[in-house]
Amino acid sequence: MLRRLIVDTAYFLQTSKRYQARKKFFYKLLEDDRYKYKKFVDILMVMLIFTSVFILIREVKHPIHDYMFYFNSYVISFIFFIEYMLRLWVSSSISEIVVKQAEHDSFLGRKLHLLKAFKTLFHLKMKYILSVRAIIDLLAILPFFHELRLLRIFILFRVFKLFRYAKSFQTLAGVLATKKFEFFTLAIFASIVIFVSSVLIYVMEANDEASPINTLFDAIYWSIVTISTVGYGDVTPISSEGRFVAMIVITAGIAVLAFTTSLVVSALTEKLDEIREVKTIEDLSKLKGFYLICGYENVAKELCRKLRNSSHHIIILDEDATRVENAKQDGLTALHYNPGSVESYKKLNIDSKQIRAVLCLREDDVENVYTALTLRSIDKEIFILSLLMNDTNRKKLTFAGINQIVYPQELVGMITKEFIGKPVAFEAIHELRSEDSNVSIDEIAVTQRIVENFTSVGEFGNDDYRVVVLGIYKKSTDRFFFNPIDSTLIETGDFIVAIGYGAFIKEFELHLHTKVRDE
Amino acid sequence: MNKKVALIFGHNKYALEIAQNVAQKYKFVKLFSLDEAKVQDTKYEFEYFDLSDDWSSIEEKIGLENSIAFCALDDDAQNIFLTISLRAHFQSLHIIAIASNKENANKLSMAGANKVIPIVETTADIIANMLELPISNKVLQSILFEENDLKIAQIKIDEKTKIKDEEIANIDWSRYRGIIVLSLMHKDMKSEFIYSSKVKKHILRSGDILVVVGYEKDIENFRAIIGSEV
Repeated sequence: MLRRLIVDTAYFLQTSKRYQARKKFFYKLLEDDRYKYKKFVDILMVMLIFTSVFILIREVKHPIHDYMFYFNSYVISFIFFIEYMLRLWVSSSISEIVVKQAEHDSFLGRKLHLLKAFKTLFHLKMKYILSVRAIIDLLAILPFFHELRLLRIFILFRVFKLFRYAKSFQTLAGVLATKKFEFFTLAIFASIVIFVSSVLIYVMEANDEASPINTLFDAIYWSIVTISTVGYGDVTPISSEGRFVAMIVITAGIAVLAFTTSLVVSALTEKLDEIREVKTIEDLSKLKGFYLICGYENVAKELCRKLRNSSHHIIILDEDATRVENAKQDGLTALHYNPGSVESYKKLNIDSKQIRAVLCLREDDVENVYTALTLRSIDKEIFILSLLMNDTNRKKLTFAGINQIVYPQELVGMITKEFIGKPVAFEAIHELRSEDSNVSIDEIAVTQRIVENFTSVGEFGNDDYRVVVLGIYKKSTDRFFFNPIDSTLIETGDFIVAIGYGAFIKEFELHLHTKVRDE
Repeated sequence: MNKKVALIFGHNKYALEIAQNVAQKYKFVKLFSLDEAKVQDTKYEFEYFDLSDDWSSIEEKIGLENSIAFCALDDDAQNIFLTISLRAHFQSLHIIAIASNKENANKLSMAGANKVIPIVETTADIIANMLELPISNKVLQSILFEENDLKIAQIKIDEKTKIKDEEIANIDWSRYRGIIVLSLMHKDMKSEFIYSSKVKKHILRSGDILVVVGYEKDIENFRAIIGSEV
């Protein structure tokens, strides 16, 4: 009966959209760095920690108000307790484990082994409870039992909670963890030196009344202060034998310090690229509407130069380390990832909606097709543009799902044809497109505000700004109306294609947004 | 450009694309290859040439004063050498050259090419416009390559033109409904957009060329009123 109730409850929770949505919300709020509201929780927690420590410091020399004491001992502790329980809740799913066990046993046609499910559950929850972070969280709650005076010192553990919110510390800890074996060896060496020197100095000095070393604790204290090269000088050996031991400890101390420094430096050096990469990926998750360029060769390089003033970010992926280095030297964000591998995009941890367009710009059709197919296997909608180097491969690129193909040879052919036909007209259009030209063509998006100010093209007053309205692109009908008549109505979502001096177009755009219709 | 013969130098995709695109504009299209072995190895008929300074055989057969040259050799250094060689021998020959990048484009201009197309920059330009200004790019593309009824035309001002001797700023362009005047090419071959103050004060003279955009019918009407198409 109880068994059935547990399984039914587990199934109910597992299928309940409301329960799952709430659990997911709290998980994102506490653990998902990409969730926009998480930072507010983090800031609140950090503020509570500092408040708590401030009260502890103030309490040492000054009497504090009861409400501060109450706030520190109960309110903050209660908030931390809630946080601890929520973290414990979202760390693993009880209902999922029970359902899995029930389905497994049902599949094998045997009776539900509930104890096994609870064992797994216990193991998972204990694994979380015994993690360093969870222990710190728990210790930070202990000041709640303020009657036990010793437990009040646990307020200091609240400071350790800061490490949860300080990513750089987590990175540093991760880097140092890679040298675990070396640090362990060093610790063993230092411990042996401390132990031997402490015993030696104790034996040699403890019976000498003039010596400040009277107990084994004094000897260990002296040994640690000496080996760390701090050397307070409050405890010093006075016998020649003792000083001889001191010389050995000092020499060993220099070796330990040098070894520790070199370990930290080498760990940081080895992991520097990785740290930068992690940072880049973290920053990527915050970007919106960026261009993902796969392959950094000649066209990509030139395109990046042209898009530098664009409001959209550019991310380069290339499997060649030299090309990635070139991109970095050109001041771009580049990652040494294979654009043709699904794993690369998993590592990037980005939503395809963040990408404005993917540009396959390797000067090799095989690579571009491979990259395009990889991207299509991840997302069917994403816009992909690719270079085509050999016209015989055009069908393959189309079949790979590339939306826009750019074939340089064809472009040259068409440009040549146009140039020999209408050289002046060609130069005029080329000039309009050129980034170096003062006169340019631009698109002004028609916003609700513009529509409120102007209802038709005749009201624009573009002549005052020496701007020519080449046409209006109507979004609703997907049509371009060249040189529209004055009575042409404009709607939100339309685009005004204007020609004129760049600065004048900007002023004209400002005028469209700022003019308020006379009542 | 009333030339009759197109001379295309190079045995590659660029040369073939140029040949395809200019075939209708010229009476004869001659392809030249540096590689003697490849001359017979294609559906197109190539003639062998070398980079020695002897152009007499080609000159005798074709007559270079009536030609336009397209330099599209694979090797940039050879392409520059070819351009400089052609310019040294034929001062009035119109030369269009292909360059792999801007650096070589400058060298080709210095070598005497009238027009240089830098492949990488042009491709990057087109892609950048496609991405950043998709609508205007599409419009300009359709105007330039005549993909729909919208056309771009060069209208020459002649002695009989009504608006001759008028200041550009004083002309009521709205009378010529349906067309937009983009730029003006002076008699001295300097092209400028009509939006600058300097051009606004320019008085139209015989020989000036106006670049206009509009539908074919409107351009015809405009041409009939003021001048003749180039």
